[in-house]
Amino acid sequence: MFQALRFRPKLSLLSLATAFALSGCDLLEFSPNDYRAPEDERHLTEKNLARLQQNPLPAGDTLRFVFTGDSQRYYDDADDLVASVNQQPGISFMVVAGDISDFGFAKEMRWVNEKLRKLKVPYVTVIGNHDSVGNGREAYQEIFGPLNYSFIYGDTKFILVDTNGREYNFDGHIPSMPWVNQQLSNLQGARRQVVISHVPPQDEDFDPAVRAPYTQALREAKNLVFEMNGHRHSSSIGQPYGDGVWYVNSDAFSERRYMVVTVWGDKQFRVKQIKF
Amino acid sequence: MKQRLLPFVALAAALLAPSLTRASDPETPTAPAAPASDKPQPWYRPRHLVLQTAGGLGMVSAGAGYTYLNGKVDTDILLGYVPKKLAGSTLTLASAKLLYSPFTIRISEKWQVKPVSVGAYFSYTHGTLNDEERGQYTRDYYWWSSDTRYGPLAGGRVTYVRPPKTNGRPRNLSVYYDLSTNDLYLHSYLTNTKGLSIGQILVLGLGVKADF
Repeated sequence: MFQALRFRPKLSLLSLATAFALSGCDLLEFSPNDYRAPEDERHLTEKNLARLQQNPLPAGDTLRFVFTGDSQRYYDDADDLVASVNQQPGISFMVVAGDISDFGFAKEMRWVNEKLRKLKVPYVTVIGNHDSVGNGREAYQEIFGPLNYSFIYGDTKFILVDTNGREYNFDGHIPSMPWVNQQLSNLQGARRQVVISHVPPQDEDFDPAVRAPYTQALREAKNLVFEMNGHRHSSSIGQPYGDGVWYVNSDAFSERRYMVVTVWGDKQFRVKQIKF
Repeated sequence: MKQRLLPFVALAAALLAPSLTRASDPETPTAPAAPASDKPQPWYRPRHLVLQTAGGLGMVSAGAGYTYLNGKVDTDILLGYVPKKLAGSTLTLASAKLLYSPFTIRISEKWQVKPVSVGAYFSYTHGTLNDEERGQYTRDYYWWSSDTRYGPLAGGRVTYVRPPKTNGRPRNLSVYYDLSTNDLYLHSYLTNTKGLSIGQILVLGLGVKADF
């Protein structure tokens, strides 16, 4: 009896250590900025795009996707959004226009992914200002992928770009105009193009030095359907510069509303607001 | 997974190695304690050394601590390190932990357990990439700090009681764990009690304490 008691601490320590080794890796967090994650929770943009391309859209077909933004810390709402989006017929994917996280932590991005991976369709994201706080930009690249990227689906080229100028202290390089111009100038066989970013150019968090070249590039872009943003937590569709370029802003998850966007022709589109 | 356990194994080994060699030092049990070292220790002298992994305070963190109120309260000061490839930049964390352990169970002559410890921690992270330059943000643009974290702790400890030094100082060796969360994780949970679970916001820390 005495012997058994004496032995137990060592035994329980051993079993405790084994339990941690087998299941507790994720618990052993080195810092909230620690962005280590299992392989299936990293480089999600690449994985989601690969999933999207497995369901190609035939040339000439109308494209339909869900547009939303600012999932940041609205986990309760995320469950309902996923349930609602899963009821939408004929959609190819969902776009989250930035601010996936609230505090720029990889763990938050993974919590959101935990919800959005339950969607029947893949989703893509663009970086928001909240995803850029602290070491968030590094976490975003680890969990999702590049800050600027583009892809073609069906007849449409999607250009996703970091416009969170304030997070770079307005250094004059965000959004990266050389990259944007290069992307806009080559449709790569697509019929039309769409630009998606978090901070809209008419916002005070957009670098004022880059505002004119950015809006001008959009004005001159061939078959630009619209420019899409998040950040404002308030949906709108308009032409703030009166130059023929449509700007579409999404609601946040907390507004419990998203858009079903239909695109066809050279640059025709229709937006349906869905409450959930 | 193996890679993640390595730091803990390494730190345990690093801490155990010197104390094990010291244990084999020739000691004459009949030798009387030197009267000079029986003097009360100065208040500022730490009572134990600490080596920890994870717990949000670093891949490895090391420091020293004080014990008072009959061994029921510990204050530990730690300096932690996270390499760039795990967090995007090299981070240095300065942390303070306060722990209250009301019960000590003596299992045998050699083994003691403090089954319950509760407390709180505070940490400051140096080396974060985008953490507010002068004029970058308007006042209260972000309501939280990216560098200062604090949160509740709860855990336990197992102590191996080693014979004290000839001068009477304890040489006990303890291993501990603590589960914690930070202010921002807690805020996330409290505003999303359906969408998040407690398990998702918990962080585990493992460590060794050596009295000296």
